[in-house]
Amino acid sequence: MKAMSEQTAPAHGIPPAASAPPDAGPAVPDQGGPAGAAPGPGPGTTAGKPGGGPGQAAPPRLRLGQLELFVLGLLLLLVGQSWIADRLDARAVQTWSTVFVAIAVQALPFLVLGTVISAAITAFVPPSVFTKVLPRNQALAVPVAGAAGAVLPGCECASVPVAGGLMARGVAPAAALAFLLSAPAINPIVMTATAVAFPNQPEMVFARFGASLATAVIMGWLWVRFGKAEWLRIPKRFSEPSSGSRWEDFRVGMQHDFLHAGGFLVVGAITAATLNVTVPKDVIDAVSDNWWIGVLALAFLAVILAVCSEADAFVAASLTGFSPTAKLAFMVVGPMVDVKLIALQSGTFGRAFAVRFSTATFAVAVLTSLAVGWWLL
Amino acid sequence: MAPVKRDVQSIVLVLIGAALLRISLDDAMYLRYVKEGLRPALIASGAILLALGAVGVVRDGILRKHERAAHAGADGHVHADGHAHHHEHEHGGEHGNGDAHGSGDAHGHDHSKGPHVAWLLCLPVIALFLIAPPALGSYTAERSDNTIAKPAAKTVDAGFPALPPGDPYDMTLGDFGVRAVWDTAETLKGRNVRLMGFVTPGKDGSWFVNRLVISCCAADAVARKVEVRGVPAPPTDAWVQVTGTWFKNGETGSENATPALTAALVERIAPPKEPYE
Repeated sequence: MKAMSEQTAPAHGIPPAASAPPDAGPAVPDQGGPAGAAPGPGPGTTAGKPGGGPGQAAPPRLRLGQLELFVLGLLLLLVGQSWIADRLDARAVQTWSTVFVAIAVQALPFLVLGTVISAAITAFVPPSVFTKVLPRNQALAVPVAGAAGAVLPGCECASVPVAGGLMARGVAPAAALAFLLSAPAINPIVMTATAVAFPNQPEMVFARFGASLATAVIMGWLWVRFGKAEWLRIPKRFSEPSSGSRWEDFRVGMQHDFLHAGGFLVVGAITAATLNVTVPKDVIDAVSDNWWIGVLALAFLAVILAVCSEADAFVAASLTGFSPTAKLAFMVVGPMVDVKLIALQSGTFGRAFAVRFSTATFAVAVLTSLAVGWWLL
Repeated sequence: MAPVKRDVQSIVLVLIGAALLRISLDDAMYLRYVKEGLRPALIASGAILLALGAVGVVRDGILRKHERAAHAGADGHVHADGHAHHHEHEHGGEHGNGDAHGSGDAHGHDHSKGPHVAWLLCLPVIALFLIAPPALGSYTAERSDNTIAKPAAKTVDAGFPALPPGDPYDMTLGDFGVRAVWDTAETLKGRNVRLMGFVTPGKDGSWFVNRLVISCCAADAVARKVEVRGVPAPPTDAWVQVTGTWFKNGETGSENATPALTAALVERIAPPKEPYE
């Protein structure tokens, strides 16, 4: 892991998977650094080519090839462990790897929760349930779904797969998106954390609740009015024929969702850890003097830090020197737009969607924070 | 990069489940990355992933191999999980590189192949099993401001309670810092206190004893530091216990004050089980 960042930088690690170049070498020998590099390309191409060449029917060989390479790569890493570890003593690299692992480890339980709920929704809950519960009128369904976000305890990693599952079950995208935005921001755990982090400012809890819910509902309405279906890729696996067993559907659905979202979580964790270790703190301190720039700076900081929504109140409270409105913007933007979420959303809904949606959400969240901050703080 | 095959997918799940269980069942390892409260969630999610992967290995790997052997050539036959089986037989070749996108376009997913991006899940597994990154230390502390939250107004007005007895009295850096900066009654004055933390270098012969504080995971770590005077600096990142008395550095009750200690004794100690304060 750290070998990668030291010698070839994360830039090497992200593109192969995200954009999938033709090189069919599996990831493990690739990313294990030199330990895996030598034998990697040889068997990698032999196993990869039959898969790529149309008409060459050798599926059993291909399957065994990948499996064997995977195990071989792991063995090589085991053998080369001490060699790799010796090269990783630089403090920055060590810090990077700790932060990366910490973000992944902290988010995984929530991702598991989210994919369990998502897979359960698609395997066990018939679509008619949602059409009955939610108002038929989309403009009305948006606030209902936004308020329903208050019941999903967890951070933002859980809400992306759940929203994908809801859409696949026929919930209007606008309503599912309002839920996606509000769930990590206004659930009771996050509200409690905010109250604890700001012991003398109960108005901060109300401001956060109001601004977050308003942002979610406004974004839902904007989607109703301006959203285009072709921007959004609703996860297609749900439309595939069922295997006949609900439990089997659940298992396959969860496996797919988890691996998919988990991969993108890793992309986000790599990005956040890199920014966390490299962005100098002076840059952030330098902008705290101007009120307006301070608000924008903390909103931007929320995007690049990708702190879990259950923790961001404590981080916000520790940012002394910034105005309460700037801290509010940090807490409203954080659960809705950050590098980890953008990666997760592009994975689940497509890049075309993630870019537009995150940009718009960022703008709306900052404006809402300004309005609510001006009113309450 | 090839899409992740179904049987390899299951192994990835087993590995990541095992990695989560490894760090959370170990008494101290998970504490380098997250708070103690997350432990049950880590154990549960590790167990779920392990079970999911194990069922997958059995159903997609072993059972399917049997079925393939039994039904070789019988392509029209529908199995219990025949759906995935058929995809593989019919499209295995074309899809090898055909749907080579983790994101972006609107293709249908084939159940028999996972997304390419799933390969990346191997990174945390490798990191946890082979490297086991250490707890954060001097690098983070040096980059972080000293965070001393101003206590609630009523605490300041009512005055801090008297320091409990003890010679030396063991204090957390957080407690020491708050009193050193905000306690206008100066309850620390003249008391012999003992602090624990790791070392970072300072200016002009002084150095800092530090603890990091995390509220959720190591990504949100902030530092608490106390300047130590009067004793030469131990090596950076060494864990020490420092015994000494409060050194007034700036006007207490104002933002100008910074916590400092005149040390009488510095002892090297083993890093504590819980690295964060």
